[in-house]
Amino acid sequence: MTLRLGRHEFADDATLMMAIVNRTPDSFYDRGATWDEERALERVDLVVAEGAEIVDIGGIKAAPGVRIGPEEEKSRVVDFVGRVRAAYPGLVISVDTWRAEVGRAVCEAGADVLNDAWGGADPELVDVAAEFGAGLVCTHTGGATPRTRPYRVEYDDVVAAAIGDTVAYAERAVAAGVAPESVVIDPAHDFGKNTFHSLELTRRLGEMVATGWPVLVSLSNKDFVGETLDLPVGERLPGTLAATAVCALAGARIYRVHEVAETRQVVDMAWSIAGRRPPRRAIRGLQ
Amino acid sequence: MTRAVLVPGTLALLPEYASIEDPVAELRAACLRAVGWLGADVTVLADQQGARVAEHLLASSTRTSDEPSYLVVGNGSARRTEKAPGHLDARASGFDSDLGRWLRDGRFDEVAALDRRLAQELWAGVDPIIELAGVPDLSVGQVDYEGDPFGVQYWVIRWASQIP
Repeated sequence: MTLRLGRHEFADDATLMMAIVNRTPDSFYDRGATWDEERALERVDLVVAEGAEIVDIGGIKAAPGVRIGPEEEKSRVVDFVGRVRAAYPGLVISVDTWRAEVGRAVCEAGADVLNDAWGGADPELVDVAAEFGAGLVCTHTGGATPRTRPYRVEYDDVVAAAIGDTVAYAERAVAAGVAPESVVIDPAHDFGKNTFHSLELTRRLGEMVATGWPVLVSLSNKDFVGETLDLPVGERLPGTLAATAVCALAGARIYRVHEVAETRQVVDMAWSIAGRRPPRRAIRGLQ
Repeated sequence: MTRAVLVPGTLALLPEYASIEDPVAELRAACLRAVGWLGADVTVLADQQGARVAEHLLASSTRTSDEPSYLVVGNGSARRTEKAPGHLDARASGFDSDLGRWLRDGRFDEVAALDRRLAQELWAGVDPIIELAGVPDLSVGQVDYEGDPFGVQYWVIRWASQIP
């Protein structure tokens, strides 16, 4: 099935880079580097130049912190979405929000995708996606409340739980009127999960791909990488790319990333190893 | 009128070795132009690998004339440069220069008398080309492509003969 993200369509075998653009003063990785709107636009310029097909704009960091209400969240992202839309008509604009109210405002400003990192916490978000013809990312959080950390969460089978919840969310979205070709599922590494859960989801990602829904993975510099290698934020790129390669081999379609160029290389390489993409230019031994 | 075309046995021409960016786009275009000039009924002169290249080029072209035709798959030395598959052999340049001149000029008696041992040492695929020399009265060649982009000497050449 062709993937349709708002006004943009992608072939069945296309892999997509979704570059993270934070409109926050306190996100874990960039620590406010793009809090200033002009710096955020420069970040968009950079990731577009690096080949990102999607930008994922977020106004609230995932971790606990100062409460950000919907008005403050909108003030951080809505006008910015409009500026990016005007500057890059061909770019897919995703907004990382769980709130329907924010979703509506960003769709009016030109967003193509609502990336609901908190797994349907606001039941009306699907209606907004349906109304605007937007794409929807359906994540698994194990029922976690937005902006909370996991505490002694356990699953009988984390992969079965992730598949069950994301597919149910996807079906609820379609029932609400979201186009089936615009729905993406995401196991949501680290969200409602300990490191063992995220490693198992990575190892068994092929089971999510086998559902037939396009799979998005958000691995970039996360704690499961840091804990696995005992490395702080800032030193997690090789581990992130290793997890990326495993997910690419399994068939993940969208990669939510901080480092676009490096991830693109890894995904292309793994996709070619899997036999889904020809080499860019092969002549060795074939002259 | 008999028609004959020479193409190299470049495996990169095969669809199973296709890249996103075609590394032999210019060569491929020349091959397809020349092969498209052949008649519908084509005799292939090639080794086993070359026959696959010929089969693919023939399948990729539309040929309607009834001229008896030959498609020859062969090439010069693969030892023309330090980066060439067979590394540099100083004799390759002279060998290819002679062979190229004879092919262009239609001097097939000299092609037939090629030093096969030297050809083998230079990694030149010439046996089918020597076989072509048995076709009588081939004309002067029309060169569609001549080059060695990867250290292997390629030619795409057409010949015609007045004898049916």
